[in-house]
Amino acid sequence: MENAWDIQKIQEVLPQKYPFLFIDNVLEIDKKQEKVICLKNVTVNDYFFKGHFPGNPILPGAIIIEAMSQASIILFSVFKPEVAKKKPDYYLAKVESRFLKPVRPGDQLILEAKKEKMLQNAGIVKATAKVNDEVVAEAHIMFGVKQKDEK
Amino acid sequence: MGEKNFEQIKKEIKSMISEIIEVSESKLTEDARFVEDLDVDSMRALEIVASIEKKYKVAIPEDQIRTLRSLKNIYDLLEKSIKK
Repeated sequence: MENAWDIQKIQEVLPQKYPFLFIDNVLEIDKKQEKVICLKNVTVNDYFFKGHFPGNPILPGAIIIEAMSQASIILFSVFKPEVAKKKPDYYLAKVESRFLKPVRPGDQLILEAKKEKMLQNAGIVKATAKVNDEVVAEAHIMFGVKQKDEK
Repeated sequence: MGEKNFEQIKKEIKSMISEIIEVSESKLTEDARFVEDLDVDSMRALEIVASIEKKYKVAIPEDQIRTLRSLKNIYDLLEKSIKK
């Protein structure tokens, strides 16, 4: 699989860092269809599996939302590069989500974020997460974007 | 869209906004100011705009969003763009 971005660029754009960075790869940036496709490799080494749940590792739904939100930030940076360049804060405003199948260690989580609306200071994104071409979760995500010096 | 009575559209919009901002339709008068009277924040304002755009297939430019300060402003804007 060819990568659209290397990990360095991902880390430049996403304010989240280890152990809260949930995008390993950006596989595709499709400006025409207004979407990005990202990848998170789910591994048993991920720290939260120790507790979620002992002996029965399942990727927490909240982490799937976070991964979809991070894919949404990447999408935002594609459409508003001049805003993203200034390293703003991104904060969630509203999430509507549905979880369809459990995700376990060994799965490759494919995260697609599709633009619904992008403003200078906010975005609305339709996100889906798939494993083996099957949708495991979907979400409608609204987020705000604020420069650090703004009140 | 031309066939649809604008009064009907107004009703739909009011009920949609009432749901988004969680304010009863009786409190959501035409002149109530979203921010000052109804406590609507910028993200909910964006949600209103996005829902209207989706439902009525109109585009509301970013710089117009802050001019939509009450239900009446929204009706006026839509009346212009729908009847065009």
